Amino acid sequence: MRLLPRDLVLDLRAMNARAYVRIVGSFRQLDWVISDAVLPNLGMCAFVLLYRALGAPKSYEALAVIGGILTTYWINVLWGMGAQLYWEKQAGQLQLLFAAPCSRMAILSGMALGGFASTLLRSLVGVAIGIWVFHVRVETFSPWLFTAVFVLTMSSLYALGMTFASLFLLYGREAWHTCTALTEPVYFLSGLYFPIRTLGALGAVAAGLLPLTLGVDALRQVLLGPAAHGLLPVRTELLALLAFTVVLLFAARASMRWLESLAKREGRLTLRWQ
Amino acid sequence: MRPSFARFRVAAWLGWQVDSNWADPILFVIYAVARPLAVALILVAMYWAVSGHAVHSTAFTGFYLANAFHSYVNSVVVDLGWVVFSEREEYEMLKYIAASPMGLNTFLLGRAVIKFGRATISVLLVLALGWFALGLRWGNAAAHPAALAATLALGLAATLAGAMLMAGACLVLTRAAMIVLDGVTLSLYLLCGVIFPVDLLPVPLRVVSFTLPWTWWYEALRRLLTGVSASASMGKLSDAQLVGGLAVTTVVFSGVAALLFRWLQDRARALGRLDQTTLF
Repeated sequence: MRLLPRDLVLDLRAMNARAYVRIVGSFRQLDWVISDAVLPNLGMCAFVLLYRALGAPKSYEALAVIGGILTTYWINVLWGMGAQLYWEKQAGQLQLLFAAPCSRMAILSGMALGGFASTLLRSLVGVAIGIWVFHVRVETFSPWLFTAVFVLTMSSLYALGMTFASLFLLYGREAWHTCTALTEPVYFLSGLYFPIRTLGALGAVAAGLLPLTLGVDALRQVLLGPAAHGLLPVRTELLALLAFTVVLLFAARASMRWLESLAKREGRLTLRWQ
Repeated sequence: MRPSFARFRVAAWLGWQVDSNWADPILFVIYAVARPLAVALILVAMYWAVSGHAVHSTAFTGFYLANAFHSYVNSVVVDLGWVVFSEREEYEMLKYIAASPMGLNTFLLGRAVIKFGRATISVLLVLALGWFALGLRWGNAAAHPAALAATLALGLAATLAGAMLMAGACLVLTRAAMIVLDGVTLSLYLLCGVIFPVDLLPVPLRVVSFTLPWTWWYEALRRLLTGVSASASMGKLSDAQLVGGLAVTTVVFSGVAALLFRWLQDRARALGRLDQTTLF
């Protein structure tokens, strides 16, 4: 650590501290753990049972289970990342984050890392339901390719969450309702419960706008093979997810700088219940 | 009677002001319209995805209809709980309402009216999307008008009872109310067999499902509108028996909900929860 520049050490420590608070805090309240782990999977169960009722092949149930597991992450990105600075503002903590000497991106990165780590464990409940309740089977797959797709999907999703977080800096109650409005419509546009190819041109447009669309499609292709009815080749989707990650990280940094100064000028950083 | 109606009207007007004026109208429209339409579109996309394999198109229409009417449960049952939560935690007005001549009961009923109105818009939009854009047909609608009217009335009565019960629960619960409300939204979607026959649920969950009036409501709506039942076990019942089952579960559920609401209200006062903010 001594060989690293002092600013970088400070940012790494801030990132570690923010992630630590996130992980420890998320396990401190048992009712939140249960709700985060179980509730998103109830919707998934309903959609799997719809496929069963319609007489669809078993692979479609697997497809819905994979999408359902990813909803856990999307909910965390929206509420745990996007709306987080709104929560901090309501709790009167936001000014402390902005008074700290570290970079804002270090705080956002810590939030993302901590949020991802705590959500990873909760998403295992969805995996367990898929395996033991719905008896979902996957094809033989390359663990390296799976890891690459999963890591790039998560990094692009959490980079989007960091961008949301800075955008919501200005908002009051609208942040809450924007998150709510971005739940089911994004489930639809991401094809979480059906192959995105079903939407035709709209699916292709959604894939160009939402990393979740590409991520879920790529993960399904890795795990289910041709039964995933993929939109694009996995390698193309990997490159697109990488591009999403880079662009969204820059967007988060730029929007945080701009919106922080705007929020300070308009006196909104400490304004509650606007 | 006249003062009571005046208070009820004021509560409904307040509900409209709170629900419609807090934000950009465009955002409000997105929020009120986008969610139910998105869920309906997910169902349609799932059906299209398997249309080469699956052949149960009438069954799908039944699921689509039930999903449309489930907007009442999402918008009234769950949102009335949010009313209690936000009035106590955000606006900190609940204690003043409880102390006012209006009282909590009238206030909540007035607020529920606006929720019903908003849910009706969602239901009509989803039904219009299904009929005009997706070509779904429920040609049996005119066959049993009296039974259909009774079914709608009973389902809405059960929804109001459920809303008052959730509001009562939120009076007692603190920040855990948020989790309970989310849990109720998703649990009812699963337990009431909105988009699948309840026969597919494991037996213990099926037993719970049959005690809920909405399970009977959705099945009766499917039967009366499309002429086909989704559930094999409920399909053995005649139309009259199905509507009778809905009536019995609605009456029992409403009675239990009324008793529980009164008890929960007393409990919230005893625990000092009416003016206790816990979120921030």
